[in-house]
Amino acid sequence: MGMSNSNMQDTLTHRETPVRKPISSEIILRAQGLRRLFRMGDSSVEVLKGVDMAIRRGEFIAIEGRSGSGKSTLLHILGALDAPDAGEVEFEGRKFDVLGRSNLRNAQFGFVFQFYHLLPELNVLENTLLAPMIARSWLTFRSQKKELTGRAVAVLESLGMSHRLKHKPSQLSGGERQRVAIARALMNSPKVLFADEPTGNLDAETGVQIMGVLEKLHRDEGQTIVMVTHDRALARTADRILVLKEGRLQKAEETAEKAS
Amino acid sequence: MYKTLLILRYLRKRRIAWVSLIAVTLCTALMLVVISVMGGWLRMFRLSFHGLSGDVLVQSTSMSGFPNYDEMVQAIEALPAVGVGNAVPVIKTFGLINLNNSITEGVQVLGYPVEKIGNVNEWPQSLYRQHVAREEAVEKLADTKLKLTAEEKAYYQKLSSNKAPPSFDLVPDASRRVDKLPDGVVFPELLKAKITYLPNENLLMWHGEMSEDERNQLLVLSNDPGYHADIFALFKASDFRRVVPNVRGRDPGTWPGIILGEGVALIHKNKEGKLSGRIPELTRVPVTLTVLGIPPDGRADMTAPPPARPYWVVDDSRTKVYQYDSQTVYVPFDKLQEDLGMTAQKAEDGTVLYGPRASEIDIRIKPGFDLNKTRDEIEKACDAVVQTKFRSGTLGSFGGYAVQTWEESNRVWLHAIENEKVLVMFLFGLISIVAVFLIFCIFYMIVVEKTRDIGIIKSVGATSSGVAGIFLGYGLAIGIVGAGAGLLLAYLIVHHINELHSWLGRAFKVVIWDPQVYAFDTIPNTMDAKEVTVIVIVAILSAVLGALLPAIRAARLHPVEALRWE
Repeated sequence: MGMSNSNMQDTLTHRETPVRKPISSEIILRAQGLRRLFRMGDSSVEVLKGVDMAIRRGEFIAIEGRSGSGKSTLLHILGALDAPDAGEVEFEGRKFDVLGRSNLRNAQFGFVFQFYHLLPELNVLENTLLAPMIARSWLTFRSQKKELTGRAVAVLESLGMSHRLKHKPSQLSGGERQRVAIARALMNSPKVLFADEPTGNLDAETGVQIMGVLEKLHRDEGQTIVMVTHDRALARTADRILVLKEGRLQKAEETAEKAS
Repeated sequence: MYKTLLILRYLRKRRIAWVSLIAVTLCTALMLVVISVMGGWLRMFRLSFHGLSGDVLVQSTSMSGFPNYDEMVQAIEALPAVGVGNAVPVIKTFGLINLNNSITEGVQVLGYPVEKIGNVNEWPQSLYRQHVAREEAVEKLADTKLKLTAEEKAYYQKLSSNKAPPSFDLVPDASRRVDKLPDGVVFPELLKAKITYLPNENLLMWHGEMSEDERNQLLVLSNDPGYHADIFALFKASDFRRVVPNVRGRDPGTWPGIILGEGVALIHKNKEGKLSGRIPELTRVPVTLTVLGIPPDGRADMTAPPPARPYWVVDDSRTKVYQYDSQTVYVPFDKLQEDLGMTAQKAEDGTVLYGPRASEIDIRIKPGFDLNKTRDEIEKACDAVVQTKFRSGTLGSFGGYAVQTWEESNRVWLHAIENEKVLVMFLFGLISIVAVFLIFCIFYMIVVEKTRDIGIIKSVGATSSGVAGIFLGYGLAIGIVGAGAGLLLAYLIVHHINELHSWLGRAFKVVIWDPQVYAFDTIPNTMDAKEVTVIVIVAILSAVLGALLPAIRAARLHPVEALRWE
């Protein structure tokens, strides 16, 4: 599944040899007629009013919109965290309902959130190992522990976090926490990485660093990334920007820089 | 894998969970202690009552007893096909006992054919001099740590080798336990060779026969305060008895022996009615027992004074059943029969009106036979005897007899205790529901507090059942650790409950276990493996049950909403 351990290590640590992977024409995620309704007592708000979109393998997509435009909801539905009231999402041509949402979240997708969402009781290494731990029984995990830990350390190292393996999230800075969150998301070599305002809680400089990490992943690994942001400047990092307004996608623009 | 890791982390980091752990521990310990004490009490009751009564009893329904018991015993013993072993007649009545010409007490009197009674019950094992002392001697001989002197060894060997059956004769015992001989005591030359003092055991021993001279010397010594009054005890009981003046025309040398329940024998009651003190020389205490015979017509002869027979105490019995030990005395069957007028009654012309009577026949049944079936056979056999001996086919004015198993005979007691056990368990079970509720509340709090973490775990792919598994496993862990700690605590309490109880008594003057109420002088301190297993399993399941609703709530949490939880 995805890149091998050594490949990952090579490309993330040897920055001077970037190998740009081309965006394939294969559609990895396709959404059709997505509707999502939130009920608040008697009244209800339709956040998504029929969204159609397709994401190709290796693409970096930014979904831009104001707060309350439904961009996070769209991301959650695309990332199998939430189910639409109407419409369907397909991963590699197969419906989410068939594949099983928790299975998709564990094996195919990775998430980076604005508020990092690390488990406070676990240290950096354990947080990073969460996805493989969830997928495996105690016995299987024990038998593969060395290999999995090695990979987790490699991922953390590539993100510059190898010196903090035994630290608890509360002992880390915001930027460091987000790096751990990215490491956790990358641990299972996800086919799609979802990022929900990944820099929203960070200062400008750290935000730029984190964006650099995502960008590099995309550029060097061909990592498919779906990012939600309200910041146009940040969105420009992506290959393509989708603007969500009043529950509908306005236009799909390719950033000039990327298109060239 | 993450479940195990998270459960362990939560157990360590969430101190609030320890409250539920302690609740499980305390409730488990509470239930185990209660059930062990109550269950142990019931077991002790069953064992003791069974041990004292035989397996099946033929009991007279009136105080005057029933005749023809010999024929009944023969008929009953002719039933080995249904498991009958031995049958022994017993007389049970009440009397007044006078100890040492000072204290008079009401007692239950049991007339035992002493050489046979061991065939049907375990009473002989309760005798101190004739059983317990021998067992102790065997133990002491086997104990290599004791470092016995040659004399002590010889003494214990003599004691342990005595295998005589129980009797109402005084067991020859030429040694005495003394408090402690004062320092510097030197025995006169004449006695030196015959007397040995064993300081380790505080035993004073007399070797060989005692001559007139020696006896006089001892008498002199015993009056000397520099020596010890215990020296007097070295007189052989028979020697001593010869010098006691005749009482009511009966030669003390011919007085029969009596065995006293240890409470009757050894312990005086003080002004508050509490038991205290010992009669120092039991076998030198003259005892008078007054009983009142009831003839078949129910009219006791009030013109003549009731027979008062003097006895020598030969032993004391500790059955561990309070009613027996505090107010029962045991005398020879034939002497009691005589005093009660229960021997064969003859008309003036010498024809036998009716034969000697007994009030009970105790029967031993071999193991493996159905007691109820055997009881029915025994009843038929007894009825057949009555039908051949009495023209009417019934006992007539003698009333009747009831044939019962030992359980039926003691059912009032046994049922009362069984019911009490169930009631106490039920009440404490109710208290334990509080623990389940406490776990529920604490787990609910933890789930609410951990809502966002649940969202995180779900966002990384954990299934709803996986999340439920974390909290159920958490409950299970608390149940196992709590029940384990509770088991340990209960074990410690139950095994030291008597020390604990006496400490409570000393420190706070609290006496919970009154032997007059609970029949035994010690609190039961054994645990039944089956009961323990059931309670531990129920405790673990309760903890899981308490965690169930919070676990379901956690499982149902929507990942997005959980992530947004503030």
